[in-house]
Amino acid sequence: MNLFALTPMQESAGQIALAAVLAIAGFGFLLPQPRGRRVAPGIAALIAAAGVFVAWLYSTFGQPMPDIIGTVLFCFFSVGALGFGSVLVAQVNPGRGAIAFAFVILSTCGLFLLLAAPFLMAATIIIYAGAIIVTFLFVLMLSHAGGPSDENNRSREPWLGSLAGFAFVGLVLFSLYLSHGGPDSASAAESLKTTQRLPAQVLTADERNTLLAAVEKLDTVETQLAGDNVPSANKNRVAEDFEGIHDQIGTVVGSTTLSRDGSVLTRLEKVPMRPGEKLSPLRTDQQAKTVIRDTLEIRKLNEEAFKDLSNNLLDDKTKKSLPTVKAEYHKLREELVLLAGVGQLPARNVGNLGYILYADHLLAVELAGTLLLVATIGAIAIAQRKGAVA
Amino acid sequence: MITLWHYLAVAAALFGIGLVGFLTRRNMITMFLCAEMMFQGVAINFVAFARYHGNLQGQVFVLFIIAVAACEAGIALALFLMLYRRGKSLDASTWQSLRETGVPPAVDTEPLEIEVKVEDEHLAPAGVRPKHIPTEEEAARV
Repeated sequence: MNLFALTPMQESAGQIALAAVLAIAGFGFLLPQPRGRRVAPGIAALIAAAGVFVAWLYSTFGQPMPDIIGTVLFCFFSVGALGFGSVLVAQVNPGRGAIAFAFVILSTCGLFLLLAAPFLMAATIIIYAGAIIVTFLFVLMLSHAGGPSDENNRSREPWLGSLAGFAFVGLVLFSLYLSHGGPDSASAAESLKTTQRLPAQVLTADERNTLLAAVEKLDTVETQLAGDNVPSANKNRVAEDFEGIHDQIGTVVGSTTLSRDGSVLTRLEKVPMRPGEKLSPLRTDQQAKTVIRDTLEIRKLNEEAFKDLSNNLLDDKTKKSLPTVKAEYHKLREELVLLAGVGQLPARNVGNLGYILYADHLLAVELAGTLLLVATIGAIAIAQRKGAVA
Repeated sequence: MITLWHYLAVAAALFGIGLVGFLTRRNMITMFLCAEMMFQGVAINFVAFARYHGNLQGQVFVLFIIAVAACEAGIALALFLMLYRRGKSLDASTWQSLRETGVPPAVDTEPLEIEVKVEDEHLAPAGVRPKHIPTEEEAARV
């Protein structure tokens, strides 16, 4: 049997297992023990584990890096978080552990910022700054000065504890690998890559640009609809302009008169094999479903608005008045802008967080407030000294 | 390009390191910090998913996590204070009488290394009484 003829899944599982074993060895050596710990082999094993972990990350999820700054910042903050976290776990002195924890928090806040969560970054820094200072106070107040002690220089089952922790991490990473595209997915992985970006891609950049260009054109052309009637000399030009916009929107959302699917629907939805067959979406997540719904809505609006405008221009019997047509185009414009912005987080992070918090999660906010109140009362009740002299 | 999966992997590793610390360390304050680190791992997961789906629900979840972590910090530190008053130690094993019935107690077999302080025989540090207390005769001779 050829030992090197491994499937990608076995290879990946092997890499994860190697990283886990190295990390277990590292913490097994580094955790404080009364006979003294072995720092050099421990650190070496931890660095090796980190190396294998990074290699696995790169070989599984890595791509050519177009976003150099983002990648560098991500590496910086994640190495900071994991490194200082290891220091916190392995540090004998709890005061130094608290300092390492402060750096873990700062690194995590950097990751929050990279993930477009500036309010959470600020909130975490403010709250944990207080928590760390209080912890510091406790360390100074409660720990015995000088000399080894039971709580700092002994560990509870260092090898078994590391085994439990890193076996868990290994399983999580392996399930990440499986969810990422499955074991035999050389081609499937390629098609999935576009959906794995941050944020997930529902609209391509081309589609977004097409929609925004259509909105812009709509704004310029709309001035020709001023007044109650279009002058007959202009009718042909106006009809051409609006037909152009209709087609442009149609390339993205599809069109029933031209009987074709737009690029959004062909990407997100399977094309029905037989007429009348139900469409089954390729992507079933909430975001894709919303986009499909909005796209169909826009397609309908686009058709209706264009039909009404043509009827108006042709002086059809059933024509609607020009202001009605204009109102239809206004609605279409709003929907187009909304669709073009799908998948982007709102720029007003704090305002929108507050809105969601109090619109969708009001009960949870009340419960969290109650929990804080109960915790305050509980802390006072626990910490008070019974029979103390006032 | 950094994908969602990178953030999930880093968050899992952070959670795992916190878990190891919580399981093995015996200082209650360090255990508490390790639990907070596990919270941070979960928070990264939530924020990454919020970015991935392009909505703010994940960030709202993290706000609640922060609220719960604050409650936990308050209760835990009050508890440490009370336990320290009773046991005069931050060692979690002091309270192993609370363990499940039928489980043998954990006994520390290896002795701790005790640092022997060599004190200067001639110069007493300021504020500390010298070990050699002069007898009455000596005191009279001075």
